[in-house]
Amino acid sequence: MGFIGNAIYLAFHPTQLRSIIQWKVWHNPPHERNAKNDTETQIICYKFLDQTSRSFSTVIKELHPELLLPITVFYLVLRGLDTIEDDTSIPLETKEPLLRNFKDFLTQDGWNFTGNRPEEKDRELLVQFQNVITEFKNMKPAYQAIVKDITDKMGNGMADYCVKAATEDASVKTIEEYDLYCFYVAGLVGEGLTRLFVEAEFGNPALMKRPELQKSMGLFLQKTNIIRDIREDFDDERRFWPKEIWSKHVNEFEDLFKPEHKEAALNCNSEMVLNALEHVEECLFYLAGLREQSVFNFCAIPQSMAIATLELCFRNYAVFERNVKITKGDACELMVQSTQNLNVLCQTFRRLTRAIHKKNTPKDPNFLKISITCGKIEKFIETIFPSQNAEDAKRRVSGELSKEELEKRKAEAENKSDVFFLLAIMGVIILIVAGVMVAAAWMLGARFDLAWQEIRSGNFRPPAPKSLTHNEL
Amino acid sequence: MSDKTILGSKKVLVSGGTGFVGSATVRALADKHPSCAITIIDRSPPRPQHVVPEKTEFMKVDITSPSEVSKALQMIRPDAVIHTAGIVPALADRFGRRVEREVWKINVQGTGNMLDAAAKSGVEAFIYTSTCCVTTDDMRLPYPNIDEEWPTSQTSLIYGESKVAAAEALVLKASSSHMATCSLRPSVLFGPGDYQLVPSIHACIAKYETPFIIGDGLNLWDVTHVSNIADAHVLAVENLVTSRTAAGEAFFIQNNEPITFRDFCLVIWAHFGHVPPFEVHIPEGLAYVAGLVCEMATWVTGRTTTLSRGSVRDACAVRYASGDKANAILGYEARIGIEEGMRLSCEVRSHSKRIYTHLPLICLMSMAGVSG
Repeated sequence: MGFIGNAIYLAFHPTQLRSIIQWKVWHNPPHERNAKNDTETQIICYKFLDQTSRSFSTVIKELHPELLLPITVFYLVLRGLDTIEDDTSIPLETKEPLLRNFKDFLTQDGWNFTGNRPEEKDRELLVQFQNVITEFKNMKPAYQAIVKDITDKMGNGMADYCVKAATEDASVKTIEEYDLYCFYVAGLVGEGLTRLFVEAEFGNPALMKRPELQKSMGLFLQKTNIIRDIREDFDDERRFWPKEIWSKHVNEFEDLFKPEHKEAALNCNSEMVLNALEHVEECLFYLAGLREQSVFNFCAIPQSMAIATLELCFRNYAVFERNVKITKGDACELMVQSTQNLNVLCQTFRRLTRAIHKKNTPKDPNFLKISITCGKIEKFIETIFPSQNAEDAKRRVSGELSKEELEKRKAEAENKSDVFFLLAIMGVIILIVAGVMVAAAWMLGARFDLAWQEIRSGNFRPPAPKSLTHNEL
Repeated sequence: MSDKTILGSKKVLVSGGTGFVGSATVRALADKHPSCAITIIDRSPPRPQHVVPEKTEFMKVDITSPSEVSKALQMIRPDAVIHTAGIVPALADRFGRRVEREVWKINVQGTGNMLDAAAKSGVEAFIYTSTCCVTTDDMRLPYPNIDEEWPTSQTSLIYGESKVAAAEALVLKASSSHMATCSLRPSVLFGPGDYQLVPSIHACIAKYETPFIIGDGLNLWDVTHVSNIADAHVLAVENLVTSRTAAGEAFFIQNNEPITFRDFCLVIWAHFGHVPPFEVHIPEGLAYVAGLVCEMATWVTGRTTTLSRGSVRDACAVRYASGDKANAILGYEARIGIEEGMRLSCEVRSHSKRIYTHLPLICLMSMAGVSG
């Protein structure tokens, strides 16, 4: 849109501008990175972090110093793996062992990879990968083990996928396959991060006992991306929407993009959104288990962005035509709301869930399912943050007042008497002043008796001065 | 717990057993415990719309008569009593006091009679069918996710419900080591044999009432499929004749799928191929004033109108309960979800040629808070 375009847009959307200003002015990072003591390799790592991810680098860099570097390294390692997998110029014979052995490269000093095609956008990261390895080896052994384990699982998952794509049809058929794909791409990241949080004692250890919670965190984000990027993926000849879902609405996947199947495409889109919404409760549950502000922010921002994106995409035909995105103002508002506490975040989730609910239409075959899912999310939020409790209700029935109410009432009564007192004093002062003025006028010879007479005879105004007549000269 | 032999040799009496909830409970009981001996007592004999299994006994008893009730219980000598008989004033009477005496007689005295007779004839377990509305007292307040700790009110404006609360209090107080009692509080009921809710929502199509929405239409309600409340009754009997952890307790029973009342209607209409062509939002305040005008008209002319301040507030109310306690103690879970239940209800409806009473949507909304 360009700077001028942005300026015009914001001039007509003051609330958006307000959100941006609020975020820029009032957001205090819980931790600020102290760049002074950074080693050369650390500086390179942060530089790559900025280059490879704009959205994540801000939140990562505000993380608690304990986890700042481990998560940066974790991110870069996975990004490196991804860059190998994405590169279609690497033949399978080379790619498969690279992916499967990637975890071992993490401990090989000086390892790097120059086999990417030049147009691969994160090629440089792998070319200078030795810096990431240096930092990896400087981490605590416990963190190293976690990152290595996840790299192992993800590398093998990707390799399996590549082999399958080369030998047979790799398109996603069932919902189960879809979940599995999302798990490899995003769910594993969630697992690694959760283990890091718990290891650093920033997360409730109970999170480890309920792996479905962190799985939902990853799946929710990934599914939202897949729903939003349908057009872009289609143009790149990638299909992530499971056949089990789209085949209910259209015969061929391509039909989703044809104007004559618009209704079917929208219904398919809403079924995909429904599938993603089923993770929301578990995501909120997971967030309740985080104990440190920067870690909470790190997890909450992507989640609120995801639900806002889902709301934007829900039954929005534009997603089949182009790439849709939430506006910068909305993003800033969401960031403000995601960096406070779980209660504020839940209210945001409730607001966006209701917005989805409002767009739901009975023409949709999944109308009832969506309605019930939205209702369940709202009920879940109500269970974590009840808007009223039984104690208050009991008091109300018995007519008693709570402590706060009593105090409030007392304060109100005090305020009231203060106001009366002030008014009374003012009245008295006015009376005195008026009395003094009347007395002064009387002393100076004012004839109140004449004035009174005139008023009684109805002459409220002083007599008009005689008009001057100009006699002719 | 749900061992089929628990109730194998037991005798269970179901009052109101030919009614909507009663007959469903009898069917569920007979399904799960085929060798259990079931006797129904009711004012009216079994009707075709509420099918009961063939081998159940029927006895015509008026529960408002203490002598009839005690004679019946002495004769049957049941081990457990499921008391579903009761009355909820219909629709327009809900906010008036016209049927005050009758409601009192059936709900409070009738329940008292049942309790006395049951205690005297050695009944071990007594289950009462209450309603979730015993808690929702002050209509100006929302009731999101309420639990059983919330107070019940016996001085509610909604007369019928307040009497149910009084009856429930009697039942829970009567729980002792000889006879364990508990109370189940379902929300709005629907399902096979429902000749009020789904039909009257359906009727709105013909009357062009479907586009109107009072309030924001986002207030959540609970609904209960009748076979789920039937399941809950069976679970409660099983509990009270074994571990008795539910003795003296009340439980909210619902589908645990809160839904907006608007959506509930929309789904039913969609089943019959109708989608409102447009939507008109009537602000709550405006509807409330209209309700007030109608009430004044009622006062002047003496004829009951369907719209009232109470029914408007009902339509905009938030009322859903937590199912945690019923799940933890009774092991209750809704077996039939709203979607399946709704499909079944609507299929039955589209095959039937019956002509239903046509009730305006507004009055239906007020009725929806009442369980049959």
